[in-house]
Amino acid sequence: MKFSSILRYAFLGIFNAGSVYLIPLIITFESWFLLSVLIFIMFLINFTYLTDKFAALKWITPGVIFMFSFVVFPAAYNTYVSFTNWSTGHILTKTQAIDLLEARTYTPEDQRGVEFDIYIFEDDNQEYYFGADLNENEFLFGKAVSQDLIKEATFARHEPSLKNSSGEIVPPEGFKLLLGKDQINLANKLQELSLVIDTSTRAQLYKISVFGSSTGRLLSTSQRYSYDSDNDILYDNSTNATCSSDGDNFLCNGESVDPGWRVFVGSENYKKLFSNQRIRGPLELVTKWTFQFATLTVFLAFSVGLLLSITLNKEKLKFKRLYRALYILPYAIPAFVSVLVWKGLLNPDYGVINTWLDPFYTFFDIEPIKWLKTKESARAAVLLVNTWLGFPYMFLITTGALQSIPKELTEAAKVDGATGVQSFWRITFPLLMVSISPLLIGSFAFNFNNFTLIFLLSGGGPPVIGSEVAVGWTDILISFSYRLAISGGRGNLFGLASSVTIIIFGIVLLISALSFRYTKRLERIYGNI
Amino acid sequence: MKRNKLRYLVILVLLSLVVTACGGGSDTASDSPETTEAPQETLAAPATTSPPPVKLVVWAEEKVATALDPLVGAYEAAAGVDIEVVVYDFGQIRTDVQTAGPAGEGPDVFLGAHDWVGELAANGVVAPLDLGAVASDIFEVGVQGFSYGGEVYGFPYATEAIAMYYNKSLVDGVPTSWADVKASCDAAGTELCVGAPGGGGGGDAYHMHPFFGSTGGYIFAFDAGFDPSDIGLDNDQAIASAEYLDSLVKDGTVASTDYGASMSAFQEGRAPYWMTGPWARGDASAVDYGVALIPQFDGNAATPFVGVRGAMVSSFSDNKVLAQSFILDFFATVEVQEAMYNSDPRLPATKSLFAIVEAADPIAAQFAASAANGIPMPNIPEMGSVWGPVGDAMLIIRDQNYGTNEETGVTVNTATDAIKLAAEQVRTAIAGG
Repeated sequence: MKFSSILRYAFLGIFNAGSVYLIPLIITFESWFLLSVLIFIMFLINFTYLTDKFAALKWITPGVIFMFSFVVFPAAYNTYVSFTNWSTGHILTKTQAIDLLEARTYTPEDQRGVEFDIYIFEDDNQEYYFGADLNENEFLFGKAVSQDLIKEATFARHEPSLKNSSGEIVPPEGFKLLLGKDQINLANKLQELSLVIDTSTRAQLYKISVFGSSTGRLLSTSQRYSYDSDNDILYDNSTNATCSSDGDNFLCNGESVDPGWRVFVGSENYKKLFSNQRIRGPLELVTKWTFQFATLTVFLAFSVGLLLSITLNKEKLKFKRLYRALYILPYAIPAFVSVLVWKGLLNPDYGVINTWLDPFYTFFDIEPIKWLKTKESARAAVLLVNTWLGFPYMFLITTGALQSIPKELTEAAKVDGATGVQSFWRITFPLLMVSISPLLIGSFAFNFNNFTLIFLLSGGGPPVIGSEVAVGWTDILISFSYRLAISGGRGNLFGLASSVTIIIFGIVLLISALSFRYTKRLERIYGNI
Repeated sequence: MKRNKLRYLVILVLLSLVVTACGGGSDTASDSPETTEAPQETLAAPATTSPPPVKLVVWAEEKVATALDPLVGAYEAAAGVDIEVVVYDFGQIRTDVQTAGPAGEGPDVFLGAHDWVGELAANGVVAPLDLGAVASDIFEVGVQGFSYGGEVYGFPYATEAIAMYYNKSLVDGVPTSWADVKASCDAAGTELCVGAPGGGGGGDAYHMHPFFGSTGGYIFAFDAGFDPSDIGLDNDQAIASAEYLDSLVKDGTVASTDYGASMSAFQEGRAPYWMTGPWARGDASAVDYGVALIPQFDGNAATPFVGVRGAMVSSFSDNKVLAQSFILDFFATVEVQEAMYNSDPRLPATKSLFAIVEAADPIAAQFAASAANGIPMPNIPEMGSVWGPVGDAMLIIRDQNYGTNEETGVTVNTATDAIKLAAEQVRTAIAGG
């Protein structure tokens, strides 16, 4: 056998071993979706690398797996979230919520704050007994029982003999007193056990001490809530209230009980976006600005980049490399850094920009611009900074594209008597657009969702005065959806925010599709030159 | 041959991913059920043959975690448990306990801010924590902060509130009334007077709270818990306070600066006062500074928002009682509290630690006095609808950014309009959310 084959089988073997090891783990998590995905991937990998039938598959399989796990799955999950009520108070499944509610205990009003020592005894059959040193007259002793056996349990009896006159604990015959590490190792078993005192009261551990005795408190024998799955009803045992489910919460006496659970709500979120005037108004405003922002950004950055690349494309220019290197610099600095630097520069009171402009303001006797604090200045600043961030990229790609356009074409035009301007607009520019326009579309789509810039530079502000939901003049759709996600009426509105992102996705998809069609037409017209 | 090599490389990468993935998964899955079952077999066996120790996972931000990490050894040795202190980004703890907990992978104990409690409790991811005997050692404001719906959800280990820093080389101290503040700045001849930060590009309702909450304005009424249906942002006192803030901005007492700008103004001696919290002591030490109470409003003590930090137990922990014991028996001890204070000097929340700190650090005592006058930030989830509108209103006033909105036709020409609008926005958001 060839060495390469040995390697292949060895790797496949390790991969399969790892996967097989994962299967029982996933089963314990009861994540059937993950299990089916794992089995599918195992099958796919083995099939691909054990047979030689589909050579191409060998190259694309890893890529496809990554694409599904990091692009398709999150997108699909996001879509799913947009059809749910996922928000603060509704993040658990119904089963989880009911489990939590059923685990709640309560202490009747008059027994609150009672604390006492609890001693844990173990008999020969690994059964546990609690000794509760309630007060001088009561040292209660009995078998500690789990939640489901409370009703049948015998009541604890007073056993003064367990504590001798000097206060030491004397375990009864056949019992061992658990101390320190012994009880701590059993902590998660002991925490489920109670010592039943009478029909309504029990003692439970509330603190397990490292040294000496542990501490207990009194609880009602019944749990706070019990759930009736047949009628989907929750009983509040502390108030004897009957709570019905309203779809995603239990309502006790008209008040909803936290936590609720998440459910599928269909198109509810989308309806809310379009019918709820409170959200729709700002949404329209933000959508309009998002389009303006993305279009203007691409236009400005492209114009500046193109202008520079044409200028630097002149053959006789000296230090051409130096200039080019300098113009690439803004692109080389991380946006996180330069945006924050710009924010400092733009500070209306102490920023460098207003300091420089100061003579200008005094000469024309005008008010200094309150950068980022008024609608117009904030929008201008966002565009200015984004142009700064974007032009080097445009400069880079147009320089490349310009150099690939044959000189003969412009020379021929010159011979035919075209002026420089004519030959640029009629020949160079259209040819440039053939190769550049897909990149411009990409840049548009990127800026449509340019959360980093907006979040770091203006935070979406300044606030739109009089809007009913918090929204700012420079908020774009994605930063608006972020605001919705984290500052809804009661905390987070993940479902609603997801539906906004789905709308963004739709818009970007539509625009890209239309633009690519247009680009194809360009190619057909100019592709033959 | 070259092609083959590449193929194996790809498989190798994939493989290593799979291997690391199962490595990560196995920790959490394997230790929970087994540990309890095993002792049954080993009848009265000594600790040497007992199963692997019970493990408690603690999520804490870096500074606290570094202080905690060397100390937990003592508890581990005494209790025979394994305590894993995980360094976590502070803000990330809030979101991750909500995703990791329900998925069965969260911490047993996590350290966080009291204003998360409402959200976490509504989502069912935090368990009530009965403070028991420890409660008597904790300042009231801390317990209040962690109270939600009749239960307490955390052991408060630190509080924080803003106070007034002053530059000793420019002014003698902080006047007790705002009216005298301006005069002291004029005497000092500085460019700015009080740096009252509004964070980032947005407003900052946190730093500005004394300006609207000192004379009777409030966000939510407090009576054994915050009431989201009773909003006092636009009562007469709150409106008067907003107008007063407007006058302070107009006469130049309160500078229109965000956090960074107010900090550099203070550091460079361009502003003699800076209103912010104890976390900025390092930054303030660029000058010879002192700290005092924020000047009174109309004879009323300034009420800063008090933030409280505490240790909470996850409701998805398998070992809630042990987690609780770890907090009350170990974390709450004055030794641990002091070590954490030395690593991250926030205001002590317990009286025993305060007694130690007070003598050693009079500045911390000033912050504590300021916190004593304050109220805890509302911890109910509805607070999410407050920061935006109130911050915006404060920003409008602080920047004198009045005007009319063309789209909605709403005019905000005065501080009164701004605060009324914020109240309306909060009410609509809560009603509609």
